[in-house]
Amino acid sequence: MRKSKAQKVNILFFLFITLSSWCALQGTGTAIGFDPLKKHALGKNRSLPPFELPMPQEESAKSYLGLSGTENFEIGQIKAQVLIIEVFNFYCPHCQRAAPQVNELYQEIESRPDLKAKIKIIGIGGGNSPYEVNSFKEKYKVPFPLFSDQSMEISSILGVKGTPTFIWVKLHRKESQEQFYFGEGGFQDTRQFISDIIKLSGLKEEAIK
Amino acid sequence: MSGQKKLMDLLRRSVFPGIFMVIIGVTGAYGQAIGLTEFIYPVEILKPTDSVSKLKVGDVAPDFTLPAVDGGKISLHGYAGKKNVVISFVPAAWTPVCSAQWPGYNIAQDLFNKHDAILLGITVDNVPTLYAWTKQMANSREKLWFPVLSDFYPHGAVASKYGVLRMEGVAERALFVINKKGVIAYIDIHDINQRPPLEDLARVLEKVNRP
Repeated sequence: MRKSKAQKVNILFFLFITLSSWCALQGTGTAIGFDPLKKHALGKNRSLPPFELPMPQEESAKSYLGLSGTENFEIGQIKAQVLIIEVFNFYCPHCQRAAPQVNELYQEIESRPDLKAKIKIIGIGGGNSPYEVNSFKEKYKVPFPLFSDQSMEISSILGVKGTPTFIWVKLHRKESQEQFYFGEGGFQDTRQFISDIIKLSGLKEEAIK
Repeated sequence: MSGQKKLMDLLRRSVFPGIFMVIIGVTGAYGQAIGLTEFIYPVEILKPTDSVSKLKVGDVAPDFTLPAVDGGKISLHGYAGKKNVVISFVPAAWTPVCSAQWPGYNIAQDLFNKHDAILLGITVDNVPTLYAWTKQMANSREKLWFPVLSDFYPHGAVASKYGVLRMEGVAERALFVINKKGVIAYIDIHDINQRPPLEDLARVLEKVNRP
């Protein structure tokens, strides 16, 4: 059976479209709640480089993170199984837009008895002074602890280029923590974001046990 | 009709449109996700300041009238006796540090209100450019809460009056605080490459209403 020229063109065109859309989708990562085409959203699984944060002054923040004392602390001291780190910037419109949604994320986690003690959130203000971080906190009534990273030291240790960036960390052992997600940009659906965290971290399995 | 032909017809009718939808969906999401920050022009490190100061604290602030992005014109003397005025000159629209500085002020309105101050943002760009630029920095459908003024023609005339017009024709990154009497209370002609920390301005505003 001979194919007409038109048919050949059709078949080639079909292949081209299929391949190119497949590539586009591959490039998106699996879009687990993040902006789909952020190529670097997936991967960057690694052991989280160590860094210290100053002890929050408010008792509510300390008890949320399960911390005590006045010394600097390390991420591994936080009492939780998964930590969501949002690197934000007071001056970044995207972070401003995302702020109410990140608050909603916090509320959603806190409202679920199965997650409340297991997932915690902190925000790190890359390049922001403590005053700017505090202004951001007041403006958006951010309910979770925020930290200033004025010198960008922590942001660069974390490999953050743009804001907001979300990093998910497993806190299984005190001495080493595993970063299992790194994503630039906001997220679209809060519940999807949470279920992706559960899926990728293996939290659910532990809950069933 | 051959089997192949039937298959192609089926593909044409059902699969192709579906694939197009996927492509449109993906690119649509892409455009939305990246946003207009992708349009910000990368700028190398510039000479920190590049103009000759003409004013000092205690001087009467030179009056000016400039077109505002929202339409109409705004004059400095319109605020005399009513409001403290913070003037924020930034070098140019669509450049990195400037594109962050004003969105920060946009969420700091409480700070200005608390001290009975208004903010005037000024660049040497024309109104349509400022319109597009400020629209993308404001939160979704909202506008910036402060007036943005165009010092485009005669080019940089107000910036020049304030001694902040750089050699290449853009403004310095400068802050002027003018009290209700129209007297300059603070000048910060900042390193153009860096953002002035908000607390510096907050400290000045704390004092500006004191006799």
